[in-house]
Amino acid sequence: MLIILKYIAKLLKALSSEASPPQLAGGFVLGMIIGLTPFFSFHNLIIAALIIVLKVNIGMAILAFLIFSGIAYLADPAFHNFGTWLLEHENYQSLWISMYDNEWWAMTRFYNTVVIGSFFVALFLTVPVFPGVILFVNQYRKHIHERVQKLKIVKIMKGSKLYTFYKGYNRVRGK
Amino acid sequence: MRVKGLIFVLIVAALFIGTPFLITDEYIEEKIETRLSIANTALVEFEDFDFSLTELHLKWSRLQVTDPDNTMMNLFETGEVELDFAFWPVLWEQVIIEDVRMTGFALETERETDGSFEIPEGYDPETGVPDDAGFFYSITAEVTSTIAENARMEFTDVKDDINVDSLLATIDLQSIDQMDGLKNDLESNYTKWDSTIANNSIEKNARDIETLVTSIKLDEIKDVPAAVKAIETIQKVVKEADSLKNEINMLQTDFRTDIQKSRNSIGQIDNWISADVERVKNVAKLPEINAQSIGTALFGQNLLADLNTYLQYLATGREYGQKFIGTDENEDKPQRYEGRNFEFTDKYDLPKLWIKNVELSGVTKNNIALAGQAFNITNNQNKTGQPITFNLSGAEEGVATLTVDGALNYLGDEKTESLSINYSGFSLVNSKISPSELLPYDLSSGQGDINVDLTIKDRRIESRVDYVADNVAFDFESAGAPKGVVERLIRDAISGTNRITATALIDNTDGPLKARVRSNVDDLFLNALRRTVQAEVDNAKRRIENEVQSRVNAKKAEVRELVDEQEAILRDKYAELETKVNEQLAIVEKKKKELEDKKKELEEDLKNKALDAVKKKIGF
Repeated sequence: MLIILKYIAKLLKALSSEASPPQLAGGFVLGMIIGLTPFFSFHNLIIAALIIVLKVNIGMAILAFLIFSGIAYLADPAFHNFGTWLLEHENYQSLWISMYDNEWWAMTRFYNTVVIGSFFVALFLTVPVFPGVILFVNQYRKHIHERVQKLKIVKIMKGSKLYTFYKGYNRVRGK
Repeated sequence: MRVKGLIFVLIVAALFIGTPFLITDEYIEEKIETRLSIANTALVEFEDFDFSLTELHLKWSRLQVTDPDNTMMNLFETGEVELDFAFWPVLWEQVIIEDVRMTGFALETERETDGSFEIPEGYDPETGVPDDAGFFYSITAEVTSTIAENARMEFTDVKDDINVDSLLATIDLQSIDQMDGLKNDLESNYTKWDSTIANNSIEKNARDIETLVTSIKLDEIKDVPAAVKAIETIQKVVKEADSLKNEINMLQTDFRTDIQKSRNSIGQIDNWISADVERVKNVAKLPEINAQSIGTALFGQNLLADLNTYLQYLATGREYGQKFIGTDENEDKPQRYEGRNFEFTDKYDLPKLWIKNVELSGVTKNNIALAGQAFNITNNQNKTGQPITFNLSGAEEGVATLTVDGALNYLGDEKTESLSINYSGFSLVNSKISPSELLPYDLSSGQGDINVDLTIKDRRIESRVDYVADNVAFDFESAGAPKGVVERLIRDAISGTNRITATALIDNTDGPLKARVRSNVDDLFLNALRRTVQAEVDNAKRRIENEVQSRVNAKKAEVRELVDEQEAILRDKYAELETKVNEQLAIVEKKKKELEDKKKELEEDLKNKALDAVKKKIGF
């Protein structure tokens, strides 16, 4: 509970002023890729390493992962159809065969319709989502943040014993 | 870039790559030993286990697999074994091994320590024998019982002064009990029919119908409506009479069938008596004197025992194959919608286990050094497209040679195992050519050659065992002077023979397992035995047959008498019932006809009266 609260607080803080919008957008798109594609895939190891190494916002990555995991469950049949179309496409056959015959590429399981379909959809989505999130963050800071702070739920949260404990805990840790 | 993050990722990667190198050989050895021991339900031990992850190389100096049925023995053991396996398939949980070099392979060796193993809590080892191996074990049990039967045959010790009374005192004649049981069944069946005939509703219903019909008085019917009403009543009665007829027809069919069945059942009595006679003959060890039984008695035991040994190896192979290797089934399904895997090439279409080539050497139980190769050992032949094959050969003291060739082909719909073994040039000096009392002589010279061809297709077994003994000379001198006419005749017959051949054909292609054994000396023995013990055997058989018959005849007569008597009584009772019912039904028929005539008469009368009235009116 404390960890979730910590990340929600961090996320709200990051949204308000702390992190730069590209860092937030970067975290969001990387989390989105993990969320949309099957979790236990080789490429997700690399994405997870990128999230840790690059200065992207981890909270946003987690948020995007949670949102897009749910969406992916519903969209899997569509990913499968798209993946089938890709893998059956005549122009790419030699590419797929050479990738399939290479053990490193084979580890990515790009020969699976859902894996490749969801991965390419996620890649395409980064094009509108990345600037979209930057725009959203800017708009949030300008117009929404103040109003969010005045929301009853936020006030209740801030007044809760758990939040007080969390603040105290952070003070002790010097954050 | 987060430097701390980068360090974290590098540490995780280093741990991931480095951890396998921290695992010691002892740890892997213990894990593998435990898993295999659980599957084997007895100890499996490696010595000097050495695993190299960088070279993908595995070796050990000794492997012992304890026999679960006798934990002081190893099912088999190996000496030094070395193998290299491919890296990439391991990531797909496939073990692909190009070459295995195995030395010191030996079957059924003694253990220095007890190999019992206590299964740890929480493990549920698969007990019981897999179906396929069970089939092999049932076949080996059948062969063993045939061997035991052959071992019982005695030809030379037949006595015609058998004490049949004391022989029968030891045997329970089952036919008497069986006849008692039959008699009880018949009695209860006859009682049932007696009660059915006496208490059935047919007779009562027929009586009711008769009463109803006789109550209709023709004299009292004066007009047509009354006649029509009476006819309607009688038509209803006729319907009831028809259903009654059906009922009695059904009863008649049941009765006749059941009575016939009871009569037929006494036909079994002779079979039961014959079985008793055979049982007594077996206990008296009276042989059938013909070429087939002589061949079986002379060589059946040896040839079948050889075949049984190889069948047991196959059974063990099947059982352990299924226990340790398993199948490719039951793959885990991913949680999310799984999609479809495109297999662009057959590069990863590999079985879970595939050992392409095994170079092996070892010793047999007879200390023959063997060496050879086995190919394509796998848990899924459909993926390798190759059957498991093996060939081994070796020599004993430079004289005798042994070759073993085999194939385990599971590619088609029918599993096929074939095995061909040739052991030739072994010395027969100071050994007996047969365990039979017909040939109790050691050989002073001779060389043996045995050839086994065994094919098992699904559950059909076909096999042939050929045995040749060349340059044989019997040592009659050590055996002393012949102890009787039979022995003298046999000695005369075989003294001119220096080559003995025997063939056993064993199959279950058309039913239960059949073993036929013939040899080139059967006829020599047959002639000798016919001239001597045949008469004694026949006489003893006759006496046994007569004695058994005399003991069971009284009971047999009792059952026959019961059937004749009860059947006659029941047939009379049934005929009486049938006659009575038919008489009553005839009355109904007769009454119906009378009523129809009466109706016709009344109608005619009415028509005439009407015609007269009209004539009167018009003044005709």
